[in-house]
Amino acid sequence: MTVLIRGEGLSKNYGSKRALDNVSFEISKGAPVALVGPNGAGKTTLFSLLCGYILPSAGSLSVMGHKPGSAALFGKLTALPQDAQLDPRFSIAHQLNFYGQLQGLSNAVRNKETARVLELVGLAEVAKQRPDDLSHGMRKRVTIAQALIGTPEIVMLDEATAGLDPIHAREVRELVSTLSNEATFILSSHDLTELERLCSQVLHLDQGVLSEHQARSTSQDNKHYITLQLSQLYDGVETKLSSLPEVNHVYMSQSKEYVIEFEKGADPFDINLLHFCYQQGWHYRQLVNGHTLENQIFNKES
Amino acid sequence: MTQLHPKRLAQIAQFELVRLFLTKRGLLAVAAFAICWLLILRYPIAQSVSLISSPDFADFARQMFGAIGISKLLDWPESELAVYWLIALFSFPGFCLFLCSDQTVGDKQRGTLRFLSLRATRSEIIIGRFLGQLLILTVLLFVTLMATVSMLAYREPSLFVSGLSRSVVLLLHLVITVMPFIALMSFLNTFARSARLSFVLAILFFAAGNIIIGLLSWQWPIFEVLNYLFPGYQIDLMAGQRAGLMLGVGLPLLQTAVLLVVAERIFARSSL
Repeated sequence: MTVLIRGEGLSKNYGSKRALDNVSFEISKGAPVALVGPNGAGKTTLFSLLCGYILPSAGSLSVMGHKPGSAALFGKLTALPQDAQLDPRFSIAHQLNFYGQLQGLSNAVRNKETARVLELVGLAEVAKQRPDDLSHGMRKRVTIAQALIGTPEIVMLDEATAGLDPIHAREVRELVSTLSNEATFILSSHDLTELERLCSQVLHLDQGVLSEHQARSTSQDNKHYITLQLSQLYDGVETKLSSLPEVNHVYMSQSKEYVIEFEKGADPFDINLLHFCYQQGWHYRQLVNGHTLENQIFNKES
Repeated sequence: MTQLHPKRLAQIAQFELVRLFLTKRGLLAVAAFAICWLLILRYPIAQSVSLISSPDFADFARQMFGAIGISKLLDWPESELAVYWLIALFSFPGFCLFLCSDQTVGDKQRGTLRFLSLRATRSEIIIGRFLGQLLILTVLLFVTLMATVSMLAYREPSLFVSGLSRSVVLLLHLVITVMPFIALMSFLNTFARSARLSFVLAILFFAAGNIIIGLLSWQWPIFEVLNYLFPGYQIDLMAGQRAGLMLGVGLPLLQTAVLLVVAERIFARSSL
């Protein structure tokens, strides 16, 4: 797989505070990559480094073989930076056209591109309006649109769905899912369920330290996992589940949610588990093949 | 300076023109400018013949601009251009500080530069914006100069050709004179937090700087050389057409180059 981004020993200090601590990672071309972590974990710092907005204190970073911010990446790497706003004095179309112009698109092409990307985010009708005439959510979608101009190979979206209503957040997710064959998306969000749906590789930052996870990790070290979410609390669930012959270990990851470690047998375990729930009179809400991303990141017992 | 693509530079500079002439705020600035210059054209320039020949004029000019030695100007048959030259030379640099106070700082605070910097290098952004502002001021200088030449031709049609050729030289000198002022604002924009602050810093730079250098050179005359750091140091001499090529053209060009290089270096390393 083609490696698009390679970071080695990256550190970033703000005065005495270390925002990123010796971070190394690789991002390959393909499915969207998630960047997760609590507030102040260093996500935006890493985003800013990748976009060339800031320089690292130590380490090296290469994006498609170039230094971040170099002219070779114009039009290839685009981004929705957190909290960045378009100029309120110009119409949306005027600004998107200008960005297309800087990316080297001809007059006719950039007009079409502006219309296309606004259509993608469902805002074709606001082209002639100014950013200040739009709601917060609409402005956010317009800034997502600017990241889709041309044919970018890497699209970085920092908190793309934050502040959007559920319908439009879903539309953005669908957009990312649809376009993920054309570009590699790097997404940061606090919504782990959202990232779990979209991404295969997860970069988890906490206090500037990076760890990697696979979304929907079904097995690790030859151990297999299923996450069962019940619709209500029942008595003795862990004990009863542990009595199943394939089950090695069960623990409650959070209220009404159980992580089951099992051994693969002749019969499919998930079918057996559903039968077992039915026999016990338990109503299940969700059955996840593997760990949820949330459990991988936050539950130490996993 | 690295990575300067002429096409992107031109596109960024052109966008600045649009910013002035197609936005509400820009149009207001143009309207205020036009009203001021209509008054200047209507009174001092339209009455330049009587003004220049007036015995009080030299005293008035001396009081206004100091002992600038304007005897050469009094000999110009194109008296409108002589008055224009004095007014433009002293007013455009100050106007320029105000007009160019928001080159990058507003976009930086808003985050708009983050969109731009993924499509243009930082050198292109800062130089492109500088060129854009220079283009705007050239347009404004050209328009006011042509209005003055028109008034001159209306008064005395035979002076039109000589007035036109003199106005080309004046335009070039004025453009070169305002360049370091624009570059100073490019530089101040790299670390100021707002356009207003960058304007205040520019005023402080000239006011406090002159006081400090005045005090230093009073004690140690060698510090007078620091005056060359200030854009417009040569204006007094230029007003009386007494500045040589090095002082009238070389100094502002050198100041512009130094300020732009420093601004570009700071901007290239600053966080967006």
